[in-house]
Amino acid sequence: MAAEVEVYKEDVVTQYIVVNLGLEHFGIDIKYIDNIVRVPSITRVPNVQHYFKGVINLRGEVIPVMDLRLRLELPEIEHTGKTRIIIIKLDPSAAIGVIVDEVEEVIDLKESQMEKPSTDNSENGLGYISLVGKADRGLVSILNLAAVIGEKES
Amino acid sequence: MDVSQYLGIFLDEATEHVQSISDQMMVLEQEPDNQEAVNEIFRAAHSLKGMAGTMGYKRMQMLTHRMEDCFSAVRSGTLSVTSEMMDILFQALDAVEGYVDTIRETSDEGDNDNENIVQDLENYINNGGASGGGDAAKKPAKKAEAKADKKAASPNAGNEKAVYQTLNLDDTQKGVLKDAIVSGKHVFGFTVYVQESCLLKAARAFLVIKAIEENGDVIVTDPSSQDIEDEKFDLCFSLFCISDETLEKNKEAILSVSEIEDAVGEEYTEEMIDAGPRQAGGEAEPEEEESGETEEAGKPAEADEPSENLPAVPAKESKPASQGGGAPSKKAAGKPVVSRTIRVDIEKLDTLMNLVSELIIAKNTIVSAAATGGGDAQKTNGAITENIEYLESVTTNLHEAVMKVRMVPIESAVQKFPRMVRDLEKKLGKKMNLTITGEETELDRTVVDELGDPLQHLIRNSADHGLESTELRIERGKPETGTIFLNAYQDGNSVIIEVGDDGNGIDVEAVRSKIIERGYASEDVAHQMTDKEVINVLFDPGFSMAKKVTDISGRGVGLDVVKSNIESLGGDVEVKTKLGEGSTFIVRLPLTLAIIQALMVIVGGEKYAISLDSIQTIEDVSVNDIKLVQSKEVIQLRGTVIPIIRLSDVLGVESTNADAENFVVVIVKKGDSLAGLIVDELMGQQEIVIKSLGKYINNDRLISGATVLGDGEVALIIDANTLI
Repeated sequence: MAAEVEVYKEDVVTQYIVVNLGLEHFGIDIKYIDNIVRVPSITRVPNVQHYFKGVINLRGEVIPVMDLRLRLELPEIEHTGKTRIIIIKLDPSAAIGVIVDEVEEVIDLKESQMEKPSTDNSENGLGYISLVGKADRGLVSILNLAAVIGEKES
Repeated sequence: MDVSQYLGIFLDEATEHVQSISDQMMVLEQEPDNQEAVNEIFRAAHSLKGMAGTMGYKRMQMLTHRMEDCFSAVRSGTLSVTSEMMDILFQALDAVEGYVDTIRETSDEGDNDNENIVQDLENYINNGGASGGGDAAKKPAKKAEAKADKKAASPNAGNEKAVYQTLNLDDTQKGVLKDAIVSGKHVFGFTVYVQESCLLKAARAFLVIKAIEENGDVIVTDPSSQDIEDEKFDLCFSLFCISDETLEKNKEAILSVSEIEDAVGEEYTEEMIDAGPRQAGGEAEPEEEESGETEEAGKPAEADEPSENLPAVPAKESKPASQGGGAPSKKAAGKPVVSRTIRVDIEKLDTLMNLVSELIIAKNTIVSAAATGGGDAQKTNGAITENIEYLESVTTNLHEAVMKVRMVPIESAVQKFPRMVRDLEKKLGKKMNLTITGEETELDRTVVDELGDPLQHLIRNSADHGLESTELRIERGKPETGTIFLNAYQDGNSVIIEVGDDGNGIDVEAVRSKIIERGYASEDVAHQMTDKEVINVLFDPGFSMAKKVTDISGRGVGLDVVKSNIESLGGDVEVKTKLGEGSTFIVRLPLTLAIIQALMVIVGGEKYAISLDSIQTIEDVSVNDIKLVQSKEVIQLRGTVIPIIRLSDVLGVESTNADAENFVVVIVKKGDSLAGLIVDELMGQQEIVIKSLGKYINNDRLISGATVLGDGEVALIIDANTLI
C-alpha cells in the first residue's frame, strides 16, 4: 500500500503559469487564475497598503490591483507593453489583480521536481515562496498566493 | 433523490406556519371564542406536524403533534382557552421555532426533546379532558364519523378520479401485491391530486411517497418514479402500495403533505388485483394473470426478489434515510445550509420579462438602422440616436424593475413584535399595546434581514425604560395601557421607521447626573453638554440608564448596538423626546443599498462620488470667508459655524485649485452636524451602482466603495459620514 501511495504522489502534476519580474521567474498555480488582462486605467485608492495600485474595472466588476514587485519588495518599474494583470480568485467571490512584468508560459511541474526553498536565500523572508520548481528552463519560485494576497498589513 | 433538496421548502413553509400560529394565537388570546383562529391554528399545526414527520424530524413532529392535540381539543370544545394554556402553547411554539432554527443551521433538528413542554401539554390536555368528562371520548368518535363521511364520499368521486383503477400491473407486481395480502398486509391503490398552483410537483410527489413509506412500501407508480422525479406528470399520479396501516391512515399521511388537493384510494383484495384495469377491461388480461399466478405460486421463495428489482421508489428510498443520518456531520459547519432565497411577486417578474423584450427590440432596431442606412451616414446617425434614447428609457425602467425585485415589505422583520410585546407585558407586569403601521413599506431584502435586531432593541427599550408602571400611569392621569408604536413610511429616497412610546420620555437631567455618577464625563463638561449631546451619550457603548440589570434590557449593550447596526446599513438614528410624554426613535434607512444618487466631484484630477443623501447644500465660498478657529478652518454660513475639510488633504492628492479666490464647498450633514468639503470641481449628479472594493484592500472607511462610470472608468465613493 505504502509503495502505491508513493507512486501516486510522484505522478501529481500541477500546471503553473510562469510570470517574470525582472530576471526572476515565478509560478502561479493555474487553478486560481481567472483571467490575464492588459493594464487598463487604474484608479488610485487613497490610504491603502502601499503595494495596492488601486482598482480597475473588469467587465463591470471593480477589482483591486496590487503590484507584485512592490509586494515582494522589489523596485517598481514603468509598465511596458508586456506588463499584464493576472486576475486571481483564491476565493470564488473575491477577485484580485496582480501586476507582473511579463507572462511567459504554462509549465507542468511534477511533485518530484519541487523543493522547499532553502531558508537562507529568501531575502524577504515573508513566506511568499512556498516551493521552488526545477523546470527545464531553470528555477521557478512557486508563489504562496494565500500569503501574497491574503495577508493584511497591520 | 435526497430529502435535503426539499429542506428549503420545508424551512420556508415551517417558518410561515409558525408565524401564522403565532399570529392566530395572539388573536385567540384576545378573543378566546374566535373559532376561525382555532381552525387556522389547527390547520397550521397539522401541516407542521406532517411536514416534520415527512422530513424525518421526529422530535419536532412529536411536539407539534401535542400542540395539534391541544388545538383539536379546543376546536371540539373539550378545552377552553385560558391564559395558562396560551403560555404553555407559546413555549411550545418557541421550541418549534428552535427546531426550525437548528434545522436551518445544521439540517438536523438537534437532540433537545423538550420533554417538559410535551409533558406540560399532555397534562393540560388530560386535565382539561378530565373536567370535561365524557367529552374526550366524544372527540375520537366525532373524528371517526368525519372520516366515515369522507370514505363514503370518495368512492362516488372515485370512478372518475380513481385513475389507479386503470393501471396495468405486470405479473411480478401483481405477485408482490398478492404476496403482501397473503402475509396479512394491506394493499391500496391511490390517485393523488396536486393543487394546480403547486410549484414543485415532483417534490410534493416525493413527499407523498415518503409519507406512505413511513408505514409501508410503494410498489408501482404511474407515471414511473423517474418521470415523477422529472415532474413528467400533470396534476395527478397513481400508485400501489403495501402497508401495515389502514386506508385512512395512509390517506391522512398523503393529505398531510402541503399543496395536495385530494387523494382517492381504496383497499385491494386479491381478486381485485387479478381483475386488472377495470375500465380498460382487456380480454388478453385474464390469461396473463393466470400465468402470473401460477408462476408466482411455483416460486414462493423468490417472492422478495421482484420487489427489489423493481425500478420503483422503495429501493431509492433507503438512501435518504441513511443520508439523513450522514448529512449533519457533513454540514456541521456553522453556516446555514440553505441558500438564501427571495419570494418574488410574479407581476414583478412579468414586468422584467416585458422590459427585456423591449430591450431586444431596441437592440434589433439599432442593428437594422446601422445596416440599412447605406451610404447616408446622417440618416443612419439619426435613426441610431433616436433608438439610443429609446434604449435609455428601457434600461432605466429595467433597472427600476430589477431593484423592485429585491424589495420586500418590512413585514417579515416586524411581525414577531406583537408576540414579543405580549411576553414583555407579562414579564414586566405593565399593560402595554403595540400598534404597527406601514408594515407594507418595502426595503431592500438585505436591509430587512438586518433590521429585526435593532428594532427589537428599540421596542424592548420602550417597554422597559419608556413606559411607566401601571400605577404611575394612573397617577399621572394617562391611559392605563401604555402604547408602543412602530410606524414605517417612505420619505423620498429613504424609509423612516419610528419606534416610540407614550411613556415617561428621556429625563435629560437624570441622564446628565448619571453621566457624572458613572464618571463618563466630568461635572463641568456634563453641565456644558446640550440636551442633544446628553441624549447621544445613551448611544455610547457601555452606558445604561437602567437602575438594575434585567434580562430585558439594562446591560448597556442596547442603544449602541442599535446605532451601529443601523449605521452599517447606511442609515442613522435620531431621538425625539419630551419628558412625561414619551420618546420616539427615528430610524432612517436608504431605500436600497446597491444604487444611490450621487454628486460627482473632481479632486486633484480624480473623480469621486458623494452620496446625495448626505449633502445639504453646495456653496461658493470666497477664500476670505474662511476663518481659523482653534487653528482649524471654518466658515460661517447663515449664522452657523461649519468646519471645513480640504478633501485633497484627506485623499492625499494635490489640489488643482489650491490658490483660487473661490472654493466650491459641499456642505454635508450627519444627523445635525455639518461639515464643508472643499472640492476642485463639480461634475454633476448621477445615479451610481455601488461596488465593493473587496476584502483584500485596507482603507480607513473613508472610501465606502467604488462605481463604474459611463466611460468605463472607476470612481471611488466617499463616505462623508466618516469625515464629520
